[in-house]
Order: sequence, then C-alpha cells, then structure tokens
Amino acid sequence: MTPTPHRRLKLRVGVATSAVVVVIAGLLVMQANDNSSTAVAPPATVGLAPADRTPPTATPARYTGPQGRVGQFVVRCPYSHSGPHDPIVHFGHAGRSHRHDFYGSAATNSTSTIGDLQAATTTCDKSVDTAAYWQPTLYDHDRVVVPIEAHAYYRAAPGVPKESVNTMPAGLALIAGDQTATTPQGGEATGWTCGSNTVLSDHPPTCTVDAPLHLVLTFPDCWDGVHLDSVDHTSHAAYSTGGRCPASRPVSIPQITVSVDFPIWDSGHDLRLASGNIYSAHGDFWNAWDPSGLAREITGCIHRGAVCDLASNREEEALFSYGS
Amino acid sequence: MTSKLHAAPRALLVLAALTFLLAGCGDGGSATGSDGAATSADAGTVKGALRVPQDYNTIQKAVDAAKAGDLILVDEGTYHEAVDVTTADITIRGVNRNKVILDGQFKLENGIRVLDTDGVQVENMTATSYLSNGFFWTGSDRYRGSYLTATHNGDYGIYAFDAYHGQLDHSLGSGSPDAGFYIGECYKCDAVIDTVISEHNGLGYSGTNSGGDLFIVNSIFRKNRAGIVPNAGSYELCYPGRRNTIVGNTVYDNNNNEAPAIDVALLAQGNGILIAGSVDNIVERNLVFDHDRTGIAAVPFPEDDANDVAPPKSEWDRTCASTRNDKIPAKDASPGTILWHPYDNSIQDNVVSGSGLADLVSATLPSKTVTVESLGNCFSGNTFTSTAPTDLETLSPCGGPTTGDWSKGAFDLIPLIADQAPAPPKDTYRKTPEPGDQPTMPNADTAPAKRFSHPEKVDVAAIKVPAKPKGA
Repeated sequence: MTPTPHRRLKLRVGVATSAVVVVIAGLLVMQANDNSSTAVAPPATVGLAPADRTPPTATPARYTGPQGRVGQFVVRCPYSHSGPHDPIVHFGHAGRSHRHDFYGSAATNSTSTIGDLQAATTTCDKSVDTAAYWQPTLYDHDRVVVPIEAHAYYRAAPGVPKESVNTMPAGLALIAGDQTATTPQGGEATGWTCGSNTVLSDHPPTCTVDAPLHLVLTFPDCWDGVHLDSVDHTSHAAYSTGGRCPASRPVSIPQITVSVDFPIWDSGHDLRLASGNIYSAHGDFWNAWDPSGLAREITGCIHRGAVCDLASNREEEALFSYGS
Repeated sequence: MTSKLHAAPRALLVLAALTFLLAGCGDGGSATGSDGAATSADAGTVKGALRVPQDYNTIQKAVDAAKAGDLILVDEGTYHEAVDVTTADITIRGVNRNKVILDGQFKLENGIRVLDTDGVQVENMTATSYLSNGFFWTGSDRYRGSYLTATHNGDYGIYAFDAYHGQLDHSLGSGSPDAGFYIGECYKCDAVIDTVISEHNGLGYSGTNSGGDLFIVNSIFRKNRAGIVPNAGSYELCYPGRRNTIVGNTVYDNNNNEAPAIDVALLAQGNGILIAGSVDNIVERNLVFDHDRTGIAAVPFPEDDANDVAPPKSEWDRTCASTRNDKIPAKDASPGTILWHPYDNSIQDNVVSGSGLADLVSATLPSKTVTVESLGNCFSGNTFTSTAPTDLETLSPCGGPTTGDWSKGAFDLIPLIADQAPAPPKDTYRKTPEPGDQPTMPNADTAPAKRFSHPEKVDVAAIKVPAKPKGA
C-alpha cells in the first residue's frame, strides 16, 4: 500500500505493561516494605535535600508486554508547548534552560508554581492531572521534531506490594535520566524504542510507521518522605530494587513510566536533543495533580490492583499498514 | 419483537412475587440498613435503604457508608458526581431511570466506577456527559447493570473489563465514540447482555479478548457506525476474543456518519455484525438489514505495533487467569503489525438483507499460511441475497466439507480499508441525539435488593429471529 497522509498523522503509543514473574516472586517472598505511612506534603519550610555523594545505583525494573497484569491508571497527554523553561532546575530563569517539550498543565514555564499549574487547563485526558511532564526537544538535522503525545503509566513498580504505594505530595519533583550524559547511560531509566517494543536502546533505532520512535522514561519510585526536591534534583528519590525501597528513601510512590511518541520512522535521520547528544535523554515530572484526584486513583486502581485505564490503539488506529 | 421481550415477562414475574412476599412479611429482609445512618420511613420505600439525598447528600457518601447487602436508593435529581465503589454486594438504584441523572458535565471521568469489588449492582438511572465511561466495572465479578441509560460519554457507555459472572440488561448505551456496550479481557466471561439498545455510537457492541459463555441476545443495535464488533488485540491479556454467542438481535442501519468515532469504528463502519479477528463465535437467528457494506462478515483485524503474536488454536481453552503471568518470548514480543484472523465462526439461520456489498462474508488478507478457505467459517440456513465469496453456503456449510471455487466473488478488503469515512470532531459524542425516556424499572422503590450471584441462564434454543421493528 502506498502511504497516505493519514498515516503520517498516526497518533499512537503503547508501552505496555507486563508484570513478569518478579511480581509474583516479590509478593510471595517479600512481605516487607513496611512503607505503610501515608505520604503527606511536607511543610513549606523544608528546604532542598542535600546532594548525596554516594547515591544508590539502582535503575528501574520495567513492565513490558500486554497490559492487564497489574493495577494501573494511565494518562494520555497530547503535546502542549515548548520553551527554554525548567521550573525545577532553573526556576525563575527563562532562557537558562535548554528547550523542553511540555505535556499536561498548559501553564508550565520558568516561573510557574504548583498553584499555577493546578489552576491551568491540562492537555491530559484526566482533568485532575494538571501535573507537568517534560523532556528536552528532539532535533532532526537541526530541525525541531514536534512530539505527538506522552502516555504516563502509574503502577506499583515490579515487586513492590501494591498496597504499600503512597500518594505523592504536590510539588514533588522527579527526574529520570541524566541530562549531562554524553555516553550511554545504562539501565532502563531512559531509552529509545519503536512503538511499544520491549527492548530499550541507548541510540534511537530505525522504526516503522506503524511503530514510530518513542522515548521511554521511568521515574524513581522511592522517596525520602521529607523533601520535595534536592540540591541536585535527584537525591531525594531513588529506585526500588527487588520490590524494596532503600532505607534512605523508604517511601514507596507510584512508578511513573512516560512514553513520548515522536513522528519519526524510517532511516536518514540525524537526531540530537536540546540537552546535548542523543545519550542525554532525560525527563522531568513535577507533581501538580489535584491531590485528592491523585490519591483517589492510587487508592482505587493501584492498591486494588484494578486496571482503570489502558493505552490501546483502538482510539488512534493507524491506517492499515499490512504488507507495507 | 416477541423474542426481544422474552426476558422481560420473567423479570416482571419475579418482581411481582417479591412484592407479594414483602407485603406478606412486612420486611424487605435483604436490606440490612447501615449502622448509625438515619433511614427514611417514607411509605412505599424499602425498609433499611440508604437514601440519597435524604440520608446522605451524595451517592458517594452513601456508598462509603454502605455494608454488604445494602440498598442505596437515589431519589430524583441531577448528581454531579464520579462515584467509586469499593464496597462489595451492594445495590445502587435510582427511583426513576429517566429522572435520576449522574451528570459529569464533561469534567468528570466515570459516572459509577466499580473497582475490584464483587457483587455490585447498579440499576435504574442515567449517566451522561462523562469524559470516559457512564458505568464501569473493572476487576469486579458478579456485576449487574439493569435499566441503565448511558449517553454522551467519551469512551464507553456501559463497560466491564476483567470482570466475570455479569449481566447487563434492559439498558441503553448511546453517543459514545467507542462502544455503547463493551465487555473486555475475560475468558470465560460467564456474562450476558440481554434486551439492550445501543445506538449512535462508534460501535454498538465491542469486546476485545472476551468470550466464553458470553451471550449477546435479544438486543437492538442500530444507527451506530458499526453494529456488533468483537475483536482481538495483544495490548491487553487474553487474546484472541473467542466464543461469543450472538443470537436473536436486531441489527440495522449501522452506517451512521454523524456518530462519534474512534478510528476502529471508522474501519468498521457500515457493517452489521463484524467478527473482526475474533474466533469460534456463534452467530445465529439475528435480523440484520440495511448496511452500506456487509450484513454479517468475518474479517481479519489488523493490530499495529503488537505486543505478541496470535496464539495457536491449542491455547484457546486457556483461561484468562492462567495466562496472566505468561512471559512472552523475545522472538514474539515485537512482531510489528499482525493480523488476527477470524477462524471457525458459525453463522447460521440469520435473516440478512439490504447490504451494499454482500449480506454474508468470509474474508482475510491471504498470507503464506492462511487462506480464506482455511479460516473454517461456516454458513448455513441463512436468508440472504448475496455472499462473498459467491455461494458461501455451498462452499462452506456448517458441518459439511469445504469445497468449490473460493476465488469467485471473493471479498476485496483493500479498497475498504483505504476508503474510510473521515474522522469526526472529538467532541461529537457530546452532541448526539437524546434517547428520550426509557422504560423504568418496575417497583424500583419497593423491590428489595437481592444478592447477585450469576447471570441469568439464557435459553438460546428458544430464541427466534426477531420481527422487523415498525418504522425501521
């Protein structure tokens, strides 16, 4: 079949999920993870956590494959806007940041506060998700690639007991990946793939129109329970290992996996990121959900193991590409 | 419409009997009441019911206060709520289907969402203008929706996912871009859809990866973009969809260009009963007429960016639960676009007319291993004027050998795929025609709540081809 204009407009994502045997093993073997405390917003007077000179080295375990094995909720957030803004790393300094692409709250800029984000409209399909999600702009032969959308999957990380997952305080800042990296980052906090393919690559693979290029970001699922952010913007959070959070960051929070859909397929691309070369892939999440709305989804979907949403291709089916 | 109504008299009889018993003993029995909640003593209402707004000013508060066995009786009014239910074995009932209205105002997600909670019955009310679904059970067994109206909802009207032993009856789903009624990801579902109306949706019925004792009977699917469309997909568990029993439905005029639509509905548009990659279904004694493309067709369903390959027939007997922890071999995990072929469907004794391309169709996109004659779809005893390939009932009779020339009059899918209706604006679902008043549940304010243990037993053999509705 000859490609048609429709196919270029294809909107589709789906990192899908899969709980692997690890989940069962974790549930059976590990009773622990005694993080039953309810996470609440720390007082405003709590400052930034100091940088940890010897941070935990764990990287995330990810879900892959069909969805439906564990409880989840999924937010689909079309691309909102771009700009040289980073309210986490460069608050108040427009232009100091490299260019980012934003999803979720329409208000995200260099001086936006959590209140601003919550008061604004959102591109996300859950109206209570006024959080901000962003990643450095992708360039192809020095031309901006406008992303299509991001899906954010919220689940208990593999092996983490689902009831132990706490909600997150408004203002919590999380970063996945290292923007300063110039060589492959290793691990699976960040990586490139085609469509919902299982394997992540450090370098963008050559994709096809029915499974275009995606950047997959998995955010830390353990928090120190005190600081919304840290001096280095990462030390207040960490990844669980084998279903357990480290003692220094004992509070389980949802594992957020964000999959960004770029209209890139076939060969002949020369890709780089606004933050540097292609290995500098990273993403940010700034929690500006409506607090009760977020708590409701965590309680109803994650704690109960219910599949509240699916990312599927029903809504945005590509034109049939069989045989192409 | 005699067969359509066959379930109703029985329900009425049961209600009448219960009412009689109530009058006799003076106690609802099953309505146990809730500690500390003041209950209304209005004459004529079920004793011990938790009443909204008289006892609790929101449905959510009543649900949170309820205990197993309780009946929540919601009075007439408009409720701007998204209700989450996590209390098992309760009944949430409106006193008047057309005047108890949950209204999401296009801001809230789901009217009533039942989360991993069994035995929740929702009856006799309307859910409208939600961004996602009107009524939604997920991970929740022994579900029942009865005398419900769902209109203008952004995903599905009435939706059950990963849920078993359920029943949806005497309900209407209208004005959703996906399906008016949807049962997904279950095998064996043990579920019944009986005596419902689905109209002005992208799809009248859809169910991905569902089946096994799943009965869709005695219902009306009209003026959707496509009528009844069971399918398959590997983005969620339990593929493929299989073993649905679709009998005694009236399916007509599903060509609706004005209806809202997800892309799958555009692909399926203009077809009455479209078995899209689902397998081993029984389609019998339906009345199907006036479709731009086909009346009853078994066709492949394309899934791009699939997560797995289609399992062999030997795995169709596996329960959904037994596949939950399957690890997908790396060689299968990223197969690109795959085709779900519609195998082994039995299409008999339907009355099909007025189809633009063909009344009865078996088709696929041939590959090295699959040809249309190898699909195993069979056709017997139907009333029709055209088939593709030609003479389908001779080529592939049910119980008989597959013979003859399958190339003659073969159905060409490619032009249909290329020639899709344009996608309507996203907010089309907000503007579909109003369904008008629907029959309300008999004795809603006096019938006690009963524990729901399993769906009705459908006497499939007794169902006849429906009579043509007046004016259709």
